[in-house]
Amino acid sequence: MGKYSGSETWQDVVPIPQDDGGPNPLAAIAYTEDYSEAMSYLRAVMADNEKSERALSLTEDIIVMNPAHYTVWLYRADVFFALEKDPLQELDWLNKISLKYLKNYQIWHHRQLIMTKIPSIPPTELPFLAQMFEKDSKNYHVWSYRQWLVRHFSLWDDELPYLESLLEEDVRNNSAWNHRWFVVFSRYVDPSAGTGADAAAIKADPEIVAREMEYAKAKIRLAPQNQSPWNYLRGVVKKREGGLAVLRAFAEEFADLAREDEVRSSHALDLLADVYAAEKEEEQAGKALELLARKYDPIRKNYWNYRRGLLGLKEVEVE
Amino acid sequence: MDDPDGPNVPAIFKTLPPIRDSLATETSWMQDETVKECLPLLAGAGAGTRSLFDYNEHGVPSLEREKHIEYLHERLGPLPEGFVAFDAARPWLIYWTLTGLCLLGENVDRVAQTFTPMQNSTGGFGGGHGQISHCAPSYAVVLSLAMVGGHDHFDIIDRRALWKWLGELKQSDGGFRVCTGGEEDVRGAYCSMTMISLLGLPLELPPEAPARAHGLTSFLSGLPEYLSRCQTFEGGISGAPQTEAHGAYAFCALSCLSMLGSPQEMIPKYIDLPMLISWLSARQHAPEGGFAGRTNKLIDGCYSHWVGGCWPLIEAAINGPKHAEEPNSGSLFSREGLVRYILACCQQDTGGLRDKPSKYPDAYHTCYVLAGLSSAQHYSYYSNAPPMEGLAVLQWRSSQEIRKRNGQLQRAVFEADDRLVPIHPIYVIPYAAAKAFQDWFASKIRF
Repeated sequence: MGKYSGSETWQDVVPIPQDDGGPNPLAAIAYTEDYSEAMSYLRAVMADNEKSERALSLTEDIIVMNPAHYTVWLYRADVFFALEKDPLQELDWLNKISLKYLKNYQIWHHRQLIMTKIPSIPPTELPFLAQMFEKDSKNYHVWSYRQWLVRHFSLWDDELPYLESLLEEDVRNNSAWNHRWFVVFSRYVDPSAGTGADAAAIKADPEIVAREMEYAKAKIRLAPQNQSPWNYLRGVVKKREGGLAVLRAFAEEFADLAREDEVRSSHALDLLADVYAAEKEEEQAGKALELLARKYDPIRKNYWNYRRGLLGLKEVEVE
Repeated sequence: MDDPDGPNVPAIFKTLPPIRDSLATETSWMQDETVKECLPLLAGAGAGTRSLFDYNEHGVPSLEREKHIEYLHERLGPLPEGFVAFDAARPWLIYWTLTGLCLLGENVDRVAQTFTPMQNSTGGFGGGHGQISHCAPSYAVVLSLAMVGGHDHFDIIDRRALWKWLGELKQSDGGFRVCTGGEEDVRGAYCSMTMISLLGLPLELPPEAPARAHGLTSFLSGLPEYLSRCQTFEGGISGAPQTEAHGAYAFCALSCLSMLGSPQEMIPKYIDLPMLISWLSARQHAPEGGFAGRTNKLIDGCYSHWVGGCWPLIEAAINGPKHAEEPNSGSLFSREGLVRYILACCQQDTGGLRDKPSKYPDAYHTCYVLAGLSSAQHYSYYSNAPPMEGLAVLQWRSSQEIRKRNGQLQRAVFEADDRLVPIHPIYVIPYAAAKAFQDWFASKIRF
């Protein structure tokens, strides 16, 4: 007798065994008996669209055996809402599963659905996410969820100190840089309307722009070859009037074309190539691109040569 | 400098990058570890684990074709209990395996009956029998059937029901959910549009599609705008507006745009192309040669496809349509670097391809590493042959001839025997499979 077939609670249900479409199905999995049985009962209750306590516990049983089962998660959410269960209790349970299955993303969609039933952010939520980031500070699903959370509960003003602590720990954490962009700039952009170009054209408060430029520059000084703050800095400069030229002196601290053996950042060279080109100093721009192609970033030599081509310069041969 | 006695491996693949910051963090530590595990394998004979005879004159090992074929056949099962995590993704396992086998030149059959119980009468396929329809397994089923071929197989798909179900996924902001009640992201859009274009489904939204209440009339309504909102301040493309730029989503978004019109027209219209190219290009690392998926992340063999597969689309966006006889205009990335990384670092001795040397192979990586290798071995271009009706996906052609910007032939560092079957840059299946499939549905008067 199985866990379900032998249970009084389930006596009225006729399980639906898996249909494999014929003999020798492809990629057939040797399920455990427990899993096979639970799935047969799931097919049966789903076919009946049953929303009950026993269905809820069945979903839990299957999720523990296979947390990547999107159908079970979605069905669980349906049952959960139909029964008007306590969302805080569900979060407690989710926390345990999430820490165990770090790469799973059904969990995060489910968490979001549950969270919509809670009027204000539970005090345990941010500490739990911090725990997730301790295990993987670049987890894409967790960061996506955090963005949703910030927007949903309007947590904009409290994010920067936490992000600062993450970047102090690892200034190369690009996910943290992206989140900083999100709370500082995307806050004012509707994610569901317009085009990317519309969003890019929105200018920001000059004080905030100045603050963010200083922030990125300070982080670049810690490790000038770290691309994340350079990307951030370039983005910030577009949020003010005027071009990239404002970064010229700063970038030249790390890449002086007169001392080509002492370049400390290929990203500074890349930026300078754009600055010089915008200032009509094509020769200087070409020189920066040549240094990148020949010496400082030769795996991308085709790209640097393409950029030289855009300036009307001939390509650099590198062998 | 090359070692005069050793194989001809350029210094760039044998030495650390010229600029390295002294500040150590978790990211730089992991990067250093990755370089450390790749360098001996990239150095060619002498330092690696293979015998001298496994390398060609460029210091590149050969493709273990037979072992990979055997590995893939085993992935078609029966699979042990531990694979239960794939119980909602069996169509993926099948798609990855078939794609790998097709690229290696193998024929495959025996698919349709496995998929039949996964189809729901309300349209679409789930990951298994009794599972709700989801665009990812549906995409995998459709492409797998295309690879297996045969009209009987094609006709198991209930296209009208599929069309109705896809209508439920379309959202008022222009994007697609991955399933009813599921998340909305760029995968949803790419998988849905792939099915719509391959199966010749009407672009008009079904009458009962909820998005109609918001004034949308077509699957294409608001879609390119949605995709454009996924470009981030870094220049790359994220899974949903405002999340972090990521290589896999870049491929999905660019492919999707390239289904809506010619890449030259669609991509620059909705994407800041110079920023995207800069971001994509920065994903290739040296000395490893492979691609990473995000800024400051590690290289992973699967991005050979997700990032590597963006280049034909980008090149078509820059260069416009080409004649077959026209010389190509040079690559924007290092094909040599990618081929070296794949052949030297991604092959498991016992068969299968992997993320990086310290990881085990699996069907997913085997599929996308091989797809990346195929794309690095061929020049894919958008042809200016007379356009077909409908979506712009059958205009792609491929050639074995790869040239530099100056017109000279690019030397290949792999052996002629190691060339794979060319892969369609949008559908990620062989060209012939896509064509036969699309022709069959185009020939149908009723749907």
